[in-house]
Amino acid sequence: MTSEPTTPPNNTAAPQRVAGILAEFDSADALKAAAAGIRDEGFTRWDVHSPFPVHGIERAMGMRPTVLPWLVLGAGTTGGLLALLMQWYLNATSYPLPLRGYPHIISGKPLFSLPANIPVTFEVIVLFSALAAFGGALVLNRLPQFSHPTFFADRFQRVTTDGFFISIEAADPKFDEATTRALLESLEPTAVEVCRRPAEGGGLPKSIPWGLAVFVSLALLPPLLIAWYRAAPKRSPRIHIIQDMDFQPKYQTQAASPLFADRRTMRSAVPGTVAEGGLEEDDHFFRGKVGQQWVETFPGRVAVSETLMQRGRERFDVYCAPCHGLSGDGRGMISVRALKREEPLWVPPAALAKDSVRQQPVGQIFNTITHGVGTMPAYAPQIPTEDRWAIVLYVLALQRSRHAELDDVPEDIRPQLR
Amino acid sequence: MQTDTANPTEERTTLERMMPWALGALLVVGLAGLGTACGLGWDSDDGGKHLLHCYLVNYCFFLSISLGALFFVALQHATRAGWSVTLRRLAEVLAANVPLLALLFLPILVPVLLNVPALKQWLFSNLDQAVGPDHWLYVACDRLANVHLFPWTDSEVVAGDELLRHKAPYLNPAFFAIRAVFYFAVWWLLARFFLRRSLAQDLSGDPHLTVRMERLSPVALLLFAVTVTFASFDWLMSLEPAWFSTIFGVYYFSGAAIGFLATIILLAMLLQATGRLNRSITVEHYHDLGKLLFGFVVFWGYIAFSQYMLIWYANIPEETTWFLARQSGSWKWVSVILLFGHLLIPFFGLLSRGVKRRKILLGSWALWMLAAHWLDLYWLVMPSLGAEAVPPGPIDLACFVGLGGVYLAGVVWTAGNRSLVPLADPRLRESLAFENT
Repeated sequence: MTSEPTTPPNNTAAPQRVAGILAEFDSADALKAAAAGIRDEGFTRWDVHSPFPVHGIERAMGMRPTVLPWLVLGAGTTGGLLALLMQWYLNATSYPLPLRGYPHIISGKPLFSLPANIPVTFEVIVLFSALAAFGGALVLNRLPQFSHPTFFADRFQRVTTDGFFISIEAADPKFDEATTRALLESLEPTAVEVCRRPAEGGGLPKSIPWGLAVFVSLALLPPLLIAWYRAAPKRSPRIHIIQDMDFQPKYQTQAASPLFADRRTMRSAVPGTVAEGGLEEDDHFFRGKVGQQWVETFPGRVAVSETLMQRGRERFDVYCAPCHGLSGDGRGMISVRALKREEPLWVPPAALAKDSVRQQPVGQIFNTITHGVGTMPAYAPQIPTEDRWAIVLYVLALQRSRHAELDDVPEDIRPQLR
Repeated sequence: MQTDTANPTEERTTLERMMPWALGALLVVGLAGLGTACGLGWDSDDGGKHLLHCYLVNYCFFLSISLGALFFVALQHATRAGWSVTLRRLAEVLAANVPLLALLFLPILVPVLLNVPALKQWLFSNLDQAVGPDHWLYVACDRLANVHLFPWTDSEVVAGDELLRHKAPYLNPAFFAIRAVFYFAVWWLLARFFLRRSLAQDLSGDPHLTVRMERLSPVALLLFAVTVTFASFDWLMSLEPAWFSTIFGVYYFSGAAIGFLATIILLAMLLQATGRLNRSITVEHYHDLGKLLFGFVVFWGYIAFSQYMLIWYANIPEETTWFLARQSGSWKWVSVILLFGHLLIPFFGLLSRGVKRRKILLGSWALWMLAAHWLDLYWLVMPSLGAEAVPPGPIDLACFVGLGGVYLAGVVWTAGNRSLVPLADPRLRESLAFENT
């Protein structure tokens, strides 16, 4: 009460405002004891400052538990529910709205199956929780704060080495320079200092709001440009930002060439030349026909034997059975599934033992495998010629098995027939 | 006794008079339990297979507590933790129970060993000559050799299964036994190292002992990771030898950490109820143990789901069978109970700060997690016995009480009259003054 406020020596002319009062203590224990002395006075804008964390200081200060965990829990729960909702909407529905879901079955799993959604849900929970924790901590701590009363006291710089301080801000509704100072002095500090901020300035530097305004305006330019280019009709081609080697100095198929008289980029072979291994003179073997007639017999180069039959069976099971079925009845697993799903464009494959196929000469069956028919694709690129004949042989066997007589069954197996 | 004058905790930190009768009582209960289990399961139609499965569940349960303790001790040294010093001796004592666990492993090891071809031939031909095939010893050995807790010990099964033939260089009885000896040797050496240095420090107060333990702890953690991974492969995963999951070791480890943390919480509370360690272990220590327990509950969920997710998504038959067995029939409900009881319910139960700082609540959750951890092991082991979930019955209870009694008797024996707080640890005062912010 009796000690006069010390005035800084060199600032006699400039008027100053009191920003707060700072008290220094010589140890962490003294700081704790002093904090306990201020705790019950009802101040809201005061704080303690120390070079290292002091255990138990929050109890000495009477700090109430923070609300932050509840914010994080709420944000995390919201994030998890939103993530689930998003995945359900995008993967399991297709409501006719502008942003429409796309139901697509993957590996026969249900459209909405929880295990697949857990990782995304988990990550979104973490994202929301982290953002809530970060933003919540900033807001609850009144950050960012550009100025604080302690900035105007030189002795406060020692807070990072060996100084222990208590500061009470003038902005506190209970603050009164004389009584607050007396309170602090009653707590046995080593020093008490009134922090005064200059009457002029001391606020936010003008460059910061201006700089922010310029930054925000510039940052708005790219999205505005993009929006304008998307909305306005234009005659010139779109700007190709990512090139990805899309434009290369080379001739594409069917393009015009200035080099040749016929202006064709794709050159045809010189008449009379044959590519190596490309002389497929043997019509019987390579095309299954002699003249305009389908052949009725196997070509001489293919020896009909048990080995060829086994080879044909194996290749048939690999290439043909998925659609035509292992017995050639047209009920392969692809066809069965397509029919089950009622695929609108699916044409069921032929049953190989039906009459229209049975009546075909071997040459024609060979031709079907080679070039395909209807929706069946050509298999010449995948199956070598010899193997195609082997498959033809096996197809004949399958046909025969469907129209077998009792005489076809070997004597010793006949008793097993029902 | 000699430390009384220099005891910074200013309280009784030894078992003293409690030790002899606790040891006796636990041993009697334990042996009675094991005897009852044998009586109930040995003469059943399955040749003791159910009994051995129950034994394995409970053995892995108590083993996990000691392994978790070993991990905890090494971790505290590796991180130079100050807060946990008053708790560390309890963990050291739990970890040093490994020799007893090695002894208790014999009922699992012997049936496997009896299937080592050379040993089997030698033993049974000698037995045949010495006592004849009707003698009880011959019958007992024959039964043990044919119980086949692990299907790959059955040479006929292996001969008929190409996959098992290819796995035979690893999954064969002799190598299994060699590996088991190696695991126990590593665990015993590590546990002994930490306990001995720590006890020596009680007498000498030499801070260099702490430095030595800190130096070894990363190596200990590395050895721990490798041995626990392969031990869980050998003793749990190979129950269904065609199935494999590379994360399985981490899964068992996560359960072990939970088992240990729950145990040390309950153990500390029990000791405090008898008037010991009341000043050394404060609400702050319980709070931190609660945080770790909560963390490992989440970790277990993360690992369990990682294992499930990849196998479920890839949908490869030889991998999904394991989960299919646990997703069909009554096992489905056990899986659901695990999901809620081992993860979701304790997650929200242990989330709050207040729960971790109230002894009665934290203790209840520790008990809950021990039960959930036990059920987790039951869920790992028992489906290899049959497709339908068997509700735990008298055999399980007898195995649990028996192994638990013997295990705790071992803990009391190891603790002896030693101080349960490392009295001369350089960080003891930091730990005593520890406060959570």
